Amino acid sequence: MRHVAVVDLGYGDAGKGTVVDWLCATRPVHTVVRFNGGAQAAHNVVLRDGRHHTFAQFGAGTFHPGVRTHLSRHVVVDPLALAAEADHLATVGVPDALDRLTVDGEALLATPYHRAANRAREIARGADRHGSCGLGVGEAVAYGLAHPDDAPRVVDCHSPALLRRRLTALRDRLTAELGPLDAPPVEDCLPAFTGFAGRVAIVERSWLAGALRAGTCVFEGAQGVLLDEWHGFHPYTTWSTTTFANADSLLAEAGLPDGATRIGVLRLVTTRHGAGPLVTEDPDLPLADPHNPTNPWQGRFRFGHFDAVAHRYALAAAGGVDGLALTHLDLTGPGLRICRRYDTTDRLTPGPPGDLDRQAALTARLLRSRPLYDDPPPDWAEAVCAELNTPVVLTSHGPTASDKTPHGPLLAPPALVRSA
Amino acid sequence: MGSGIWSTDVYDAADRYRRSTGRSAFSYSDSGARTVHPTLDPRDATRESRDSDEHPRSTPIAVLFDVTGSMRKVPRVLQTKLPQLLGLLQRQGYASDPQIMFGAIGDATCDRVPLQVGQFESDNRMDDDLGRIVLEGGGGGQMSESYELAMYFMARHTVTDSWEKRGRRGYLFIIGDELAYPQAKAREVAGLIGDDLTEDVPLRQVVDEVTRRWDTYYLLPAGSHYAGNAKVLDFWRDLLGQNAVVLDDLDAVCETIALTIGLGEQAIDLDEGLRHLDRTGSGTTGTVSKALARLGRGRRAEVSTLPAFRDTGGEVTRL
Repeated sequence: MRHVAVVDLGYGDAGKGTVVDWLCATRPVHTVVRFNGGAQAAHNVVLRDGRHHTFAQFGAGTFHPGVRTHLSRHVVVDPLALAAEADHLATVGVPDALDRLTVDGEALLATPYHRAANRAREIARGADRHGSCGLGVGEAVAYGLAHPDDAPRVVDCHSPALLRRRLTALRDRLTAELGPLDAPPVEDCLPAFTGFAGRVAIVERSWLAGALRAGTCVFEGAQGVLLDEWHGFHPYTTWSTTTFANADSLLAEAGLPDGATRIGVLRLVTTRHGAGPLVTEDPDLPLADPHNPTNPWQGRFRFGHFDAVAHRYALAAAGGVDGLALTHLDLTGPGLRICRRYDTTDRLTPGPPGDLDRQAALTARLLRSRPLYDDPPPDWAEAVCAELNTPVVLTSHGPTASDKTPHGPLLAPPALVRSA
Repeated sequence: MGSGIWSTDVYDAADRYRRSTGRSAFSYSDSGARTVHPTLDPRDATRESRDSDEHPRSTPIAVLFDVTGSMRKVPRVLQTKLPQLLGLLQRQGYASDPQIMFGAIGDATCDRVPLQVGQFESDNRMDDDLGRIVLEGGGGGQMSESYELAMYFMARHTVTDSWEKRGRRGYLFIIGDELAYPQAKAREVAGLIGDDLTEDVPLRQVVDEVTRRWDTYYLLPAGSHYAGNAKVLDFWRDLLGQNAVVLDDLDAVCETIALTIGLGEQAIDLDEGLRHLDRTGSGTTGTVSKALARLGRGRRAEVSTLPAFRDTGGEVTRL
């Protein structure tokens, strides 16, 4: 059985959520596996009847009955936001989302202390904000790296005394570094975290192998490869591996190396929310995004022409894909152009992970680069396919699953494959 | 990429998980308790609503509901709805720094726990008080409950900075379906609240005292035994005038209370409040509109000076 892994080859917001929703609508899917990021993800899914949910921690297939969500150990889990998200799902007709959730006990917890520290740091950066979402995900990762044996993890929620110690140590360390944090007392946090442990299935690492044997799983990436902690444009990146790497390691542990079809999602308009390079940015593009309003942490949502240079770079950094999903084709207008090269270069090459000096130099170069444009192609899917040398296997012309069209056998719904 | 649109409030999350386990929130009562929880005991108690650095202009709000048998399922529905009240008030910014107290009213002539009053809280800790309320199964059959004792307590055993510093009344909502007794009896006051009175206090005097400091409303909800009973409504209209309100749908209780406060604070007029409800996708607009039609009339708000809600005293603005 072939699993599917979905990764964004831009700066996020390309439409991973709607692609995952479509996959779950067109074939039996056992579990949607999250393998990076945390509660800062915002994957919007709209149903034909108008219902809408912004998926942050639940898999974007949750509207489909029976489809489970697994938060792997690579996810930073935020039980507080999770409760609110489950409540909203209940109001849009999904009362059992928490029943269909499993969480790896090794995953790091995001806590009010991480959040407060994240915001304190971002505010201190002033005009040099990184475009953080202010939810403490990066802060949790950083703390987990600095204090691997002492960082609060999901499984600790079963042990209130241990959790209390770890939260107290966390609070004290961050307070010592940053001053008083705008966060509630440890005692007040405990009921929420123990409530989470009492309600949600916390599982061991081996759970995923069972799910992968039980049925088709969809690996849902968060954010975008151009924000990757190693391959993104430093320092405007996220503390998360946004390529296929985590999904690959989970599959390999389960004895299924190369077990997934790799799908890269691209939006016809290259967008970015938050600071950092967006070479093709054009404030005159007559576009708006209903699900990405201006917010105090990231500012306004930025639009640019299709940046083939950046997307080719993302594709190489991700190690290639089996097919592309191209979204927002309904928004093609005469003003939208394609950028195949910059004035400084026509090709960006990924370096080895870990060389942040190189990435910072790359960022500086991008901030100096000017886009060179070609006229809009008559057939966008064909042009993107040619430019990235990769087949477009799914196109999306609107927000719902019924607005998607598969091309070729790779993602064709099983019924079509059989009749073909 | 995302902006963290789901609430990360710890108190809120604890409550959401508790509710999602299906465990009754009346855990104290359902575990068999038949005496007042110490934190809700009105005896020798004073309840305070104070300003603080974090909440510099507190608005005290008390919600006391009848927990006797005639109310049927009403207390349990209220228990699931009322935790949303604070969030609703804060989101809309209808009142500055709301501090909410919950309490319960029984019948002093036959109940074991005729009066329970929590503390004013400005976060979800007030939910704990809801969970500690003892529900009475009985009810006397005389169509009266001890509302007068509850109002007596509110009149003489509460202290608010809102009144003392700013001369502003707080909001008192009584949710019930029966009549009050004609006087607060000295014997019952002594036993329950601990005051030594030389004589009974007539109901009219209790109402005069409580309404001086509390903008007092009586909500008569659907689904209770005497709902729609003209005698009950007439009785409360006689005491409180247009502040006696019929509520068609208990699901709308929080919205009704919030809009009543918004109207009282002149933060909105009724049409604007109803538009807010519509915009949030609340299905309660019809009920609230009907319930508050009398209140909203002629109360065209001139000013809307309340700032948008911010839940922080420091520089870090929560999203």
